[in-house]
Amino acid sequence: MTHQTHAYHMVNPSPWPLTGALSALLMTSGLTMWFHFNSSTLLILGLLTNSLTMYQWWRDVVRESTFQGHHTAVVQTGLRYGMILFILSEVLFFAGFFWAFYHSSLAPTPNLGGYWPPAGINPLNPMEVPLLNTLVLLASGVSITWAHHSLMEGNRKHSLQALLITISLGIYFTLLQTSEYLEAPFTISDGIYGSTFFVATGFHGLHVMIGSTFLTICLLRQLKFHFTSKHHFGFEAAAWYWHFVDVVWLFLYISIYWWGS
Amino acid sequence: MLDVEAQKPPNGKWWTPPFDPRFPNQNQTRNCYQNFLDYHRCVKTMSRRGKSTQPCEYYFRVYYSLCPISWVNRWNEQIRNGTFAGKI
Repeated sequence: MTHQTHAYHMVNPSPWPLTGALSALLMTSGLTMWFHFNSSTLLILGLLTNSLTMYQWWRDVVRESTFQGHHTAVVQTGLRYGMILFILSEVLFFAGFFWAFYHSSLAPTPNLGGYWPPAGINPLNPMEVPLLNTLVLLASGVSITWAHHSLMEGNRKHSLQALLITISLGIYFTLLQTSEYLEAPFTISDGIYGSTFFVATGFHGLHVMIGSTFLTICLLRQLKFHFTSKHHFGFEAAAWYWHFVDVVWLFLYISIYWWGS
Repeated sequence: MLDVEAQKPPNGKWWTPPFDPRFPNQNQTRNCYQNFLDYHRCVKTMSRRGKSTQPCEYYFRVYYSLCPISWVNRWNEQIRNGTFAGKI
């Protein structure tokens, strides 16, 4: 009885969950220090330890799967469930911010003037940069589908090209949105309009950056021949996440940018 | 015009605001605010056309009955300062 007789993956002891939890403590206390006492030391330490944890933990997952072969079919099924549940939790996270937006905009209070957008707010024109952003993300959804099909067909050149296009579109979105943030005539402190706008679009932008990073890792792994045409769950997870980010933007665009103007 | 005392109609019977089906629920904030707006819009329009503002008394009575007096004073102050958020 010197080898396992089941197909599951019993992961070896690892320090990364502990370092991850410690980094969470450093980040939260660091945010407090930064907000209230204008000190960034703890926060930077937290971000650093968090990045190191993520890098090393996921590096180990790649080692266990691609290099050691521990990701059997059942293991992959478990990972699929996990990613779906995680994305579901993110949907609920955004649901809260949409709730806040609709709560305030459907029944605008007298101090806003009783109408939405509130008194004194000049919203961004939804037919300008926001529309371009929508097209950019929709196009990135097309390119990532192309990348996936190329991967499944074993077309290495096309899968790399399509992934690169997807990532470039993601970066383009981020640059456009950054410019919008800098140029906007209103700020996060401009009443409930500013709060709902920047918190919802801000968290979305953060998720675009996270998704772009995930896709970049996939690009690097594909360059190093990690994926096969049949087994590439890391890529699929990144694609699911990317589509989720796109859908959230569509909801944001319709609700806040278009209806809310 | 904006001073509450000057706006008070003559003494006499003053009825309770009637049921307004636009605002059927317990929270009557919007009822108060809407009648406040409608009174000022009515006065502005009638004055612009050179007509009597007597029909506007209805809105005055409703908002004066419904609204907390502190709100009315604050809004009138804002109107005087040009910082009132509503469209009149």
